[in-house]
Amino acid sequence: MSSLFVLNAAHLHLVLNHVPTLGTAVALALLLLALIRRHEVLVHVGLEVLFVIALVTMPVYVTGAAAYANLRSGAEFSDIAARMHQDAALTGFVVTEFAGFVAWVALWQSRRTGQAGRGLVAAATLLSVLALAIMGRAATLGGEITHPEIRAEGVAPAAAATDGEEADLNKQFVASRITEYMVNSPWAWPAAETVHFLGLSLSIGVLLAINLRLLGVMRQVPFGDVHRMLPWAMLGFGANLITGMLFFVGQPGQYVENGPFHWKVVFLVIAGANFLYLTVFKKAWDADGQDSRFADKAMAVASLASWLIVLYAGRMLPFLGNAF
Amino acid sequence: MLAWLESTSAAVWLAESPSVWAMPTVLTLHTTGMALLVGASWVLDMRLLGLNRTVPLSAYRWVFRAVAVGLVVNLLTGVFLFMKNATTWGTAWPFLVKMVLVVASAATILPLRKYVLNSGTGLGDISSNARLLAIASILSWSAAVTAGRLLAYLVP
Repeated sequence: MSSLFVLNAAHLHLVLNHVPTLGTAVALALLLLALIRRHEVLVHVGLEVLFVIALVTMPVYVTGAAAYANLRSGAEFSDIAARMHQDAALTGFVVTEFAGFVAWVALWQSRRTGQAGRGLVAAATLLSVLALAIMGRAATLGGEITHPEIRAEGVAPAAAATDGEEADLNKQFVASRITEYMVNSPWAWPAAETVHFLGLSLSIGVLLAINLRLLGVMRQVPFGDVHRMLPWAMLGFGANLITGMLFFVGQPGQYVENGPFHWKVVFLVIAGANFLYLTVFKKAWDADGQDSRFADKAMAVASLASWLIVLYAGRMLPFLGNAF
Repeated sequence: MLAWLESTSAAVWLAESPSVWAMPTVLTLHTTGMALLVGASWVLDMRLLGLNRTVPLSAYRWVFRAVAVGLVVNLLTGVFLFMKNATTWGTAWPFLVKMVLVVASAATILPLRKYVLNSGTGLGDISSNARLLAIASILSWSAAVTAGRLLAYLVP
């Protein structure tokens, strides 16, 4: 699995990298259409698409970093173009995740009140315009990395950089500066690890409560009441996405060829999709005081299992892979 | 005593075995136990501090079972992990601080359990003692997790 993935990281990136641009364009079109037709269901679909894109953008960024690590030594490869692409992609990633987060809050709210707040929908729409613009730029820059015929002037492939040039380059790019900070600061890595562990405890505790309700514990409690706790799980997840990205951007070499990390990202996407289901689904609401349907129980088991696999794979990073 | 612990065959196996069942599994169990123990405690603490006031306190009894499972798992794996590092951890202040914090945090669960079991449906006001205990529980578990995580950096 591990070696296969690394060989194909560039291919996988070429397939997945269309999601943040084309996908966001689709979400944006849905949201604009919903605005024109004043159609609440279309708003929900647009927000849901935006959330799913935010999930899939995680493997897009990760496979990109893996491709960079593998292609650096190629003859036609332009390191400057790759670094420019990486910085644009990192900015685009942050905006896309933020758009997905705002979309999620709007969905959570609309599940409770029947309507997504207009301000939140407007914010999600504006953020997706911004994400589309930045990801479009990242895509253009990405195309230039190994295509000299379309490269803008001044983006020539650098001959192997000397150490001094490398240090100069590292100062110019955000991703490299994050790397330097995370590696050199005595407290940044331990502090981020601490927040990561607090965040995982919070998320797992809240998801345990919600999924136990679906499995029949606290049956007398209306589902809407446990649904109210979801933002706390989101808070834990948000803290862990930020600190997790600090680790990844800080030391990509530890993760891109790390088998457990690949599984972790795959199951993060699955767990995230499950989280969306818990946020918006309808059936459990109708079954107050009753036993949940079999499908909902299966979802609850899948949710707990996928989060535990994320935790397990994360904890395995130093052992089966090479991270610390 | 500490040196003897570290030289037991179990401690040596944990320290030296390349098996996935040695350090990787024991550490993962310790982390999972932590998430169960701390996460479930926080869910109850948040209820006591006002989240989901309309839900009867009696619906939260599962928390104590989750906490018990987490405590047992982490006590067993924790003792095991300590044996591996007994001579260094046994005298290191970050480890002793962590132990004090864990004991203090775990101690909040007993009066909280008594309060929840005695308060019937518990839809009324939460007593100020219970709220103080909930705040203490949130803070001391956070501090315990922090100390545990920093242990890996302060006492290699």
